[in-house]
Amino acid sequence: MKYLCLIYSDETHWANIPQTEYDSVLGEFFAFTKQIRDQGKYIAGENLQPTRTATTVRVRNGRISATDGPFAETKEQLGGFYLIDTPDLGDAIQVASRIPSARYGCIEVRPVVDFS
Amino acid sequence: MKYLCLIYENEKSWETMPPAESDAIMNEYFTFTADIQKNGKLVAGEALQPTVTATTVRVRNGKVSTTDGPFAETKEQLGGFYLIEAKDLNDAIQVAAKIPSARLGAIEVRPVVDFSTESAKREEAAGARA
Repeated sequence: MKYLCLIYSDETHWANIPQTEYDSVLGEFFAFTKQIRDQGKYIAGENLQPTRTATTVRVRNGRISATDGPFAETKEQLGGFYLIDTPDLGDAIQVASRIPSARYGCIEVRPVVDFS
Repeated sequence: MKYLCLIYENEKSWETMPPAESDAIMNEYFTFTADIQKNGKLVAGEALQPTVTATTVRVRNGKVSTTDGPFAETKEQLGGFYLIEAKDLNDAIQVAAKIPSARLGAIEVRPVVDFSTESAKREEAAGARA
């Protein structure tokens, strides 16, 4: 089963921490990614640029409108994701709980649609 | 540059839509996906199961807690995503506008962090400090 792990945390926190702490959390992320890659659980994963770089696109009556900013303003922001492959939800939760940001913010785990 | 296109729409509208209409939209999605695959713009893409299947995980003081449901309740819900390769933001917006749900809901386009240039930037900053 494939699961999408959405990483939510306060992005202003990341902008304000000392470089050494930032590097240490980033190191944890790299170690986590390598670990799930080695376990064959990793499909994809990306770190997103801050929400101020977001653009929200809509098409109405054939016309494209693009507005600056994310779709919704939230206290914690989507900062990245992992797409993982695990036997079941219990295992997906175990993997999600090892994402470093699970300690600061939260991880939303969503099963994906299997079109086959 | 890689961009993440997050698809937000009212998931209830899918449940109440006549099957002929939802089938037509699904076909549009398959065509769109085939098109961006052919263009070399598709990196990854998935449709998500409804938010009732979501679990939110937190770790505090070493203990894992899980709650049912998504991180935030919103009027429109995250229903899927495409990770695309585009020349620039404008190109990414053009691709996002062709996602069928752009007509029904909204697509949030987010540039991703390129760690190869990110580390170069940091080294440059460290060099400037030295």
